[in-house]
Amino acid sequence: MDTQWPRFMVFQQEGPDQPVVHNGTVHAPDAELAMLNARDVFVRRPEAVALWVVPADAIFTQTQEELAQAAETQLAAGPLASYYVFGKFSQQAQCRQVGQVQASSPLAAVHAAIATFADKQPLWWWVFPASAVLKNESTEAEPMFSAARYKTFKDQAEYPVVTMMRALRNQKANHKDTENTK
Amino acid sequence: MERAHQYALSGYLIALADDELVLGHRDSEWTGHAPILEEDIAFANLALDEIGHAKLWYELAADLLGEDKTTYPDRLVYFRDAAQFRNLQLVELPKGDWAYSTLRQYLFDAFEALRLEALSQSSYTPLADVAARIRTEELYHLRHSQAWVLRLGLGTQESGGRMQAALDALWPYAQALAAPLPGERDLHAAGIVPSSADLFERWSGEVTQFLAKSGLQANLQSPVSDFDRRTHSPHLPALIEDLQSVARLDPEATW
Amino acid sequence: MYGADVEQIAIQLNEDPQKLADFEARIARGEKIEPGDWMPAEYRRQLIRMISQHAHSEVVGMLPEGAWITKAPSLRRKLILLAKVQDEAGHGQYLYHAAETLGATREEMLDALLDGKAKYSSIFNYHTTTWADNGAIGWLVDGAAILNQTMLARCSYGPYSRAMVRICMEENFHRKQGQEMIILYSQGTPTQRAMVQDAITRWWWPTLMMFGPHDADSPNSGVLIRWGIKTRTNDELRQEFINQLVPDLQACGIVLPDPDLHYDEASGNWRTGPIDWDEFWAVLKGNGPANAERMAARRQAHADGQWVREAAAAYAAKNQMQVN
Repeated sequence: MDTQWPRFMVFQQEGPDQPVVHNGTVHAPDAELAMLNARDVFVRRPEAVALWVVPADAIFTQTQEELAQAAETQLAAGPLASYYVFGKFSQQAQCRQVGQVQASSPLAAVHAAIATFADKQPLWWWVFPASAVLKNESTEAEPMFSAARYKTFKDQAEYPVVTMMRALRNQKANHKDTENTK
Repeated sequence: MERAHQYALSGYLIALADDELVLGHRDSEWTGHAPILEEDIAFANLALDEIGHAKLWYELAADLLGEDKTTYPDRLVYFRDAAQFRNLQLVELPKGDWAYSTLRQYLFDAFEALRLEALSQSSYTPLADVAARIRTEELYHLRHSQAWVLRLGLGTQESGGRMQAALDALWPYAQALAAPLPGERDLHAAGIVPSSADLFERWSGEVTQFLAKSGLQANLQSPVSDFDRRTHSPHLPALIEDLQSVARLDPEATW
Repeated sequence: MYGADVEQIAIQLNEDPQKLADFEARIARGEKIEPGDWMPAEYRRQLIRMISQHAHSEVVGMLPEGAWITKAPSLRRKLILLAKVQDEAGHGQYLYHAAETLGATREEMLDALLDGKAKYSSIFNYHTTTWADNGAIGWLVDGAAILNQTMLARCSYGPYSRAMVRICMEENFHRKQGQEMIILYSQGTPTQRAMVQDAITRWWWPTLMMFGPHDADSPNSGVLIRWGIKTRTNDELRQEFINQLVPDLQACGIVLPDPDLHYDEASGNWRTGPIDWDEFWAVLKGNGPANAERMAARRQAHADGQWVREAAAAYAAKNQMQVN
């Protein structure tokens, strides 16, 4: 049987004052390679100051629809642990960081989040234990994220095709005018 | 800088650039053929960085020679014959299997990290600045290639065997890293560039230690390959012919 | 069937009518369906089919252009092409992720591709015979893809829609670098002009086929539109593409390989001659010029990489044991 390795969810912070936002997954055999793969896959353009990777199966999610239906179920409670809380706040948006809660199970963490962040009403809650996260060290940020800054050829603004087409049409029009006046 | 040094340094930089260009070329051959999608992306990043570094060194050489740095790099890449390239044989050998490419990348990256650290202290500031920038990217390369050497060295019997075979094949070629680059002796005396032999000492120690940690044994008695950057394997002319095939269809054209 | 009312469809699909009605109401309100939400099995099936095909297209799509990376005629073009093919791998990666949120695994999806059971875009079964083909692919093929993807960025399934937003931003670089190349070469040396004309001649019709069969012959369109996966038809998108491209290509002095091509004053549309659908179906069914070569390349890479994937997994397993 082939293996494409387990999945890790990737979260990215685009600027120092920006929230951490979910942006996809990478497949990796372990957390260190997940971090490297996350950098290679998601920082091909200069848009990160920090990356987090979390094993996909460590993430527990509840949509509004699921919460409405599963109100009675309880997951087995374990020892109290710290959970990160993320939420999706508009239809098109990715989940972004809301805060942190202490809870004894993932579902308890969602309920704790609803109580703690009563002013936030995301369409979709995500929680995962803080212990499941690998974050890049701040000293690694420069080697990880600076390379993309110089690759300006990946930016569509480098290709002024509208201006080029206009110049081409003007040139043709002028050419015709000179032909006509001959 | 003295005129003689300017000229020597341009030759030195073109040799460094040729290493980066040719290694980047080999790395780029994996694009679309890597073991897993994430590594297609990672190896393409290595290739982009290496070719980008080559461009920076060629541009700096153009400045030293009073050439136009927007056109000179392409002239060097597309209109020199293979015999005029000054890269190491280590980087021109065909890409081989994933073990071979990964191990070559590691051996080269580990040396680059040391050389760039030294070059970023160069008394010639423009060189020091470019070296510092390239070094940042190379630190990431080294992290990536070390991660892979360790995993493949210790992963399975097959992966360990392939890595050892790659090491046996590449180690003699890697010894050529000790040889001075064109112009190096004078430039080193003037405090502009480090001595390759000194770097090689440190590199040997670090690399053999890390390889051992990865379950791999460098054959320290292995015969040494030809040091001269003027001597190439038959693989280089083939590579250069492929590289230049479109540009030379119409040398007058701007591509 | 898909113009019918909800209750009839619920019966045909064996779904709970109330749940289906609620689901359709959410789509009508412009809400995004997320992985944990209730969805009809047919919605899930169609999405997995479409998204995995789309992912396969990106992955196979690396090959025709990838073959030219080592030959790119300037350092600038080389870096551009390398970055572009790398983006395609990235897009495949984002799309497999979107399909994974529906319960498909990448192992299964790749197996389906390598066994020849899954389809991918027919366009990648044509050969790239000269360097200028890379320009034609950028301007025509990626230009066509962007129209489709801009529509899909608005689709009702959250993860697919978000993947598309990201992809569209990057695809604009792909299209523009190709257009820049074609514009410059069309005004360049005789060699370059001939190369560009030849490339557009070969890629024009296959690109028009990329939008898929005419609406009347498109079996899945009804349900895809009803559930907000697609919001425009194949023919609408194709017509918009033709209207965009024809005047620009003509301004470059390029002649399109269609004697029937004309401007229809009444509708404001450019009209093409008939598309050769026999060719389209032949290529899609595996009889295109490069089908065998593309699949052989993918199978080879997959087989050659197996020991690497296994070794990394074995290393992780050993380390895990030491930790525990």
